[in-house]
Amino acid sequence: MSVLVFRTTLPRFEYLRPKSLGEALELKAKYGGDAMILAGGTDLLVDIRMRAKKPKYVIDIKGVKELSELKYVEGRGLEIGSAVTLSEIERSKVVKEKFHVLWDAVRQLADFPLRTRATLAGNIANASPASDSAPALLVLGAEVELSSTRGTRKLPIKKFFKWVKQTYMEPDEMITRIFVPEPPRDSKGMYLKFTRISVEDLSVVGIAGLAANPKEPEKRIVRLAYASVAPTPVLVEEVEEIFKHDKPVKELIREAVEAVKKKTSPITDVRGTAEYRRHLIEFGTAYLLNRLLEVIE
Amino acid sequence: MKKISITLTVNGQKKTVEVTPNERLIDVLRYRLDLRSVKAGCLKGECGSCLVLMNGKPVKSCLILAAEADGSEITTVEGLGSLNKPALIQKAFIEAFGYQCGFCTSGFILLGHWILENMPDASEEEIKEILNGILCRCTGYKQIIEAIKLAQKWKRERK
Amino acid sequence: MSPYKYVGKPIPRADVDKVFGDAIFSFDVTLPGMLYAKLVGATQAHAKIKHIDYSKALQVPGVVAVFTGAEFPQKIGIYAADRDVLAREKVLYYGHPIAAVVAESLEAAENAAELIEVEYEPLPAVFDVKDALKPDAPILHERLAEYKHASFIYPEPGTNIATRVKLRKGDVEEGFAKADVIVEDTYREPLVSQAYLENWVGVARVKSDGTVEIWSSHQSPFAVRELLAASLGLPIGKVIVYHLYTGGGFGGKAGILLEHIPVLLSMKLGGRPVRLELNREENFHYMAQRAGYIFEMKTAATKDGKLIAHQGRYLLDAGAYADYTVNVARSVTFMAFGPYEIPNIHIDTCAVYTNKVPTTAFRGFGLMELFFASEQQIDQLAEKLGMDPVEFRLKNALIPGKSITPTQRRLREDAGAPADTIRRTAELIGWDKPLEKPKEPWKRRGRGIAAFWKGPVQPSSAAASAVVKLNEDGSVDLLVGTGEMGQGTVSALRQIVAEELGIEPEKVRVSPIRSTNLVPYTWQTVGSRGLYSDGQALMRALEDLKSQIRKVAAQIFKVFEDEIEIKDGKAYVKGKPWDSVTLAEIALGYMFPDGETIHGPLIGRGSHVPVQTTFLDPETGAGEPKPFITFGAGAVEVEVDLLNMQVKVIRAATVYDTPVINPGLAYGQVYGGLVMGMGLALTEQLVFDDHGRLLNPNLTDYKVFRAGDIPKEIKAEFLGVGQRNAPYGAKGIGELTMLAWPAAIINAIYDAIGVRVKETPATPDKLLKEIREQKPELLEEVRKQLLG
Ligand SMILES: Cc1cc2nc3c(=O)[nH]c(=O)nc-3n(C[C@H](O)[C@H](O)[C@H](O)COP(=O)(O)OP(=O)(O)OC[C@H]3O[C@@H](n4cnc5c(N)ncnc54)[C@H](O)[C@@H]3O)c2cc1C
Ligand code: FES
Ligand code: FES
Repeated sequence: MSVLVFRTTLPRFEYLRPKSLGEALELKAKYGGDAMILAGGTDLLVDIRMRAKKPKYVIDIKGVKELSELKYVEGRGLEIGSAVTLSEIERSKVVKEKFHVLWDAVRQLADFPLRTRATLAGNIANASPASDSAPALLVLGAEVELSSTRGTRKLPIKKFFKWVKQTYMEPDEMITRIFVPEPPRDSKGMYLKFTRISVEDLSVVGIAGLAANPKEPEKRIVRLAYASVAPTPVLVEEVEEIFKHDKPVKELIREAVEAVKKKTSPITDVRGTAEYRRHLIEFGTAYLLNRLLEVIE
Repeated sequence: MKKISITLTVNGQKKTVEVTPNERLIDVLRYRLDLRSVKAGCLKGECGSCLVLMNGKPVKSCLILAAEADGSEITTVEGLGSLNKPALIQKAFIEAFGYQCGFCTSGFILLGHWILENMPDASEEEIKEILNGILCRCTGYKQIIEAIKLAQKWKRERK
Repeated sequence: MSPYKYVGKPIPRADVDKVFGDAIFSFDVTLPGMLYAKLVGATQAHAKIKHIDYSKALQVPGVVAVFTGAEFPQKIGIYAADRDVLAREKVLYYGHPIAAVVAESLEAAENAAELIEVEYEPLPAVFDVKDALKPDAPILHERLAEYKHASFIYPEPGTNIATRVKLRKGDVEEGFAKADVIVEDTYREPLVSQAYLENWVGVARVKSDGTVEIWSSHQSPFAVRELLAASLGLPIGKVIVYHLYTGGGFGGKAGILLEHIPVLLSMKLGGRPVRLELNREENFHYMAQRAGYIFEMKTAATKDGKLIAHQGRYLLDAGAYADYTVNVARSVTFMAFGPYEIPNIHIDTCAVYTNKVPTTAFRGFGLMELFFASEQQIDQLAEKLGMDPVEFRLKNALIPGKSITPTQRRLREDAGAPADTIRRTAELIGWDKPLEKPKEPWKRRGRGIAAFWKGPVQPSSAAASAVVKLNEDGSVDLLVGTGEMGQGTVSALRQIVAEELGIEPEKVRVSPIRSTNLVPYTWQTVGSRGLYSDGQALMRALEDLKSQIRKVAAQIFKVFEDEIEIKDGKAYVKGKPWDSVTLAEIALGYMFPDGETIHGPLIGRGSHVPVQTTFLDPETGAGEPKPFITFGAGAVEVEVDLLNMQVKVIRAATVYDTPVINPGLAYGQVYGGLVMGMGLALTEQLVFDDHGRLLNPNLTDYKVFRAGDIPKEIKAEFLGVGQRNAPYGAKGIGELTMLAWPAAIINAIYDAIGVRVKETPATPDKLLKEIREQKPELLEEVRKQLLG
C-alpha cells in the first residue's frame, strides 16, 4: 500500500460458533485457511485490526465442551483443552506444584485481565518467538494434539514451530489439546522473563529451566528452552547431554552456556539489541542454572 | 455479513442487540448501549480503559467480539453506584484522590471492586499485581492503590 | 496544619462525576447526522506528491467525499504557521496526513481509506538534527520566509532552522579564564510521547449562520478558538470551542491540535457534523510529540566551589512542524541551567526541522530535558572539585532578593526558597546515611539528587479572568476558562471560593463543560499557570462579589460597608453574628419588608494580567519572562541490577517551596510526575528506523510504567513559602513534579556503579553498552559470581 491506514474498526468477517468439536472440524475442513480459530482473541483481534491477519471466517471455540477441560492423571500427566484459559491454568494447584515451570511462565504471561481470556493453545498456535509458554512446554516435553476431519495426530512441541508466526499445522487442522507428560520426579522448574519494565511486557528474552536430581550426574536431568532469541522458541537439546557428565557444576554451567550461545541467534528490535539479548542469554542462563542446581538461593 | 442477535445482562438489565460479527464488546457497550464510561485508549489490550467485568471477571472489552459476549453478564462503573448511592470503592476513590483526568478511572475502579469482592485481604503487592494489567498516565498509581486499601479497610471495619 | 477552613486541606475533587461514569469527554461526543473522517498517512519520509488516486475510495458505499491537501491552502501553527492541513506538494514525514475520507460510518471511511493510492517522488530525507544543520542538507520548508510567525521567533529561511535563541550574560571567556575546573560534555534525549490516555478527538459543525462549533480534546479552549479563527480567517465571534473533560494533555494538547480538520471538512460538506477520532497508532503519527534534544555544555567552577561560567549549544529536534517547540527553545535558553547563580553565561539554541513526526510541548516545557544535562554537569563538577553534590548545589543556589538570573534580573525577594528545598530533599532521602547492601552481589545501590526551577513561559500579556455568580440557594457558580485535564485546577479554585465566602465546597459548582462563549477568557492551560493566574483573577472576582455583598448588607443593617463581615455564608455587622443575612437571601438582591428591592443579582468578576513581565532582548535575552518561579529538588535511591541491567527506583524524596491549596491534589501531581519522569529516564522513547518509520506507535512498545514499578517509598513536602501576589501564596507545581527525575536517576546510577549515561532513556541495553565502554570490570565480577 502507498498509504498508511491504521484501522479503528475491524474489517468484515463471518462469526461462527460451533457447539461441538465435530462441527468445528467440519468448518475448518470446509474453509481451511480462510477460517481462523478464535480462542481468547487476545492475539487474533489485534492482528485482524492491524490487518496482519485477514480471515473470512472466525470460528469461536469457547462453546465447545470437549475443549474446555483441564485434566490431570497421575502418572500420565496434564491434558489441557484448547479453550482452557491461562487463568484456569494459573489457579490449578497441580500445575503449580508439579508443573511449576509452566505455572511460572503462565503467571508472567501478559496480565491478569488478559489471562482471564487468553488460552495456552492460542499462545502456541500464534507461534510468536516471544511466546512465554512455549519454552516451558519445551522443557516439559509437551505434545500438541492436532485434529481435523481427517483424524488426529500428536506433534512433539519441539516439532511444532516452523518460523516466526508459522507452524506445521495444516490449514484444516486445529489444536484440540496439549499434553504435558509427568515431569521427572522431584524436578524443579523456573521461568525467567526479562522485560523492559518489571511487569506486563513481552519478553526480551525468556528462559525456561527444568532440573531433577542435581547432585547425581547419571540421574541428572537439566533442560533449557528460550523465547525471543531465534525465529521460533527453542529447546537447546545439548544441555541435557552436558549435564549427564560428572564434572564440577560450575564447569558444566559454563559448557551449557556455550551450547546455548551456539544454538541461539538473537536480533535487534525495538525491545532490545542483539548484544543485550546475548548478554541475557549468558547471564540469565548462568543464573537460572545456579538456582536450579541449588548453587545459589 | 450476517447480523447476530445477542442478549447481554448489563448492570442487571437484560438487553438484546443486533450486531455485526466485526463489532466488539466495547463498540456495543459504548455506542449501542450508551455506556460511555467504557473508553478506548489503544484497542490492543494494553491500556485497560475498556475494562469491564464479564461474568464477574475483569476483561478488556476491546479484545472481545460482541458476538462472543452473548448471554453474559456485564458490569460497568455505571452499575456499581451513583453519587447518591456510591459503592464503597467509588467513595474510596473520591476520598483518596484515586483519579485525575478520569480516562482510566473506570477500569481501575472495576479492578478495585473486583479485589474487594474476591480478595478483600489482598496485600499491597497483590493489589499491584492485579493493577499491572492496566495503565494510568496521570496518577503514578499511588493514590489508586491507597484508594483500594482504604476501601478494604472500610469493608473490614463494617464487618 | 492549615490555618484555614478549606484552603490547605484535602477536600475531594470537584469532578466526582468521573467516578460514576457520568463524566463526558470529547471522546464521548456524537451529534445527530454526524459524519466520520479518516486520515490517510504517507509512506515516505520526504517526497513530492505526484498523484493521489482516490477514485476507488469514492465508490465505497457510504463514502461522502475524499479531500487532499490541494483543497486546503490554510497554514496552521501557534508561533509559526508552518503546518499544512493535509500535505500539499510534499510529504515531510512518514505518516504525514495526505488525504481525508469522510463517510457515513467510520467503517466505510476506513474501508475506503485503504483503497487510496499515492504516487511519490522520493526526496532525500534528514533525520538527525546535526545533519539537518549542514549546508547541503535537504530543506523541509522551502517557503519558510513566507510563513507568518510571532515576533519572538526567528526562523532562518534557506535552512532547517525553525528558530534561533540567544542568551548572553557577563563574559564567558573571562569566566573560563578564571576557572579551576571545567566540565565539557554532550547529552542527548530522543523524541518521546506525552502518551495521555485519551487520544485526540474532535467533532465540528458549522451552523447556517456560519458559526463554527467544535468539541475537542484540548487543554486551552481559548487558544483553540484564537488559532482556529486566525488560521481559517474567521472572526473570533463566529467560533465556539467546547471544553469537556480532557483525558490528559501533558503539553501535548496545549495549542491548536487537529481542530481545523473536522471544521474544514464540515465547511466543505454543508455544515454537517464531522467527527475525527484518532486511535493510538494514529495519535502517535498525527499528533505532535515531544522534541528530541542535544545539549552541548561547557561549565566551569572555581576551587572554592562557585560556578563561574556556562556555555551551551542547545539543539532541539523539532520534527516536520515545530508548533510549541520554537517556544520551548526559548524556555531552555532563558532558564539556561539549574537554579544556580552563574555570572557568565552564553547560550545559542536552535530548533531544527527534520523529517520526523511534528513536535510540541511536554510537561516541563523543556526544563526536565535541560536539567537532565545541567544537573549531570553539576555532579561532574562536584566530583572534580572533590565536593559533596548537595553541598556544591547549596553553595550556588539562587538567593531571592540577591541573585541575578540568566536574563539579568534580580530575583524577587519573595521568589521562594531554592536552597531550603535542596537541603530538605537531601534530609528526606537520607543523603548522609550509609546505603543498604542488597543480598545479591550483582545488585548495587546509589543515590542521586537534582534541583530545579520553573515558571510559565508565556507572553507578558497572558491574561486570565473569572466570574462568580451567587445563586438564590446560597450556592455559587464559578466560571473560569481554564481546562480540566486531570490536574485539578478547578477543584483548587473551588476551594478558594469556599474559603473566601465561608460556604462548603460542595456548594460551589464549576461546570464541566466550558464553552468559549459562556466562560470568561484565560490565555491557556499550560505552564503550571492555572492556579496562579486564574487564581488571581478569581481572588479579584471574589473581592468584587464580597464588596457587593457588603454594600447590600450595609444597607440592610444601616451601617458603613467596612463594618460588614462575611463568614460562614452569612453577612453581618462585625461582632454581631447573631443578626445576619444569608448569602441566599441576598443572591438576587434584597427586598425590604415594604417590597422595595435593592441591587439585583450579585455577580463578581475579576481580571488578571501578569505584572512586571517584559519582552526579552533578542540579542541577550535580558528581561523578565516569568510572573513566578517555583523551586524544588528531587532525590532518588536506585538499585542497579547488573544481571539484567534494570534500574529500579527504590525510594524518592522531593520538596517544593510553595504552599498548596489542596494536598490531595498536590501529592497527586507529585506521584504522577515522578512515575512519568521515571519513564522518561528509563524506558520511554520513540524509535525510528533508517527510513524514518516509527517502530513503536503503540503502548506495546512505547513502554509506560505500571503500578508494579513505582518506588516503595515516596516522601514529599511543601515548605509553604508563598509569593506575595499569588493566591494564598501558591505557585504552580503541575510540571515541576517531573523536572528532577531523569537527572536524579542518572546521577544515582553513577553513584551506584560509576557509569554515566548521558542519553535517555537508560534502557537495559543502553546501560549494558555504557558499562562495557566505561567499566567492563563490573561485568567480569558478575560473570565470576555466576560462572566461577
Ligand atoms: C496486552 C497483551 C500482552 C500480551 N503479553 C504476552 C506475554 O507476555 N507473553 C506472551 O507469550 N504473549 C502475550 N500476549 C499475546 C497473547 O495474549 C497470547 O499469545 C495468548 O496466549 C493468545 O491466546 P488467545 O487464546 O487469546 O489466542 P487467540 O488470539 O484466540 O489466537 C491466537 C492465534 O492462534 C490461533 N488459534 C487459537 N487457538 C487455536 C487452536 N486451538 N487451534 C489452532 N489455532 C488456534 C488463532 O487463529 C490465532 O491465529 C499478549 C497480548 C496482549 C494483547
Ligand atoms: S482499549 Fe482495550 S485495552 Fe486499551
Ligand atoms: S487518571 Fe488520567 S490516565 Fe489515569
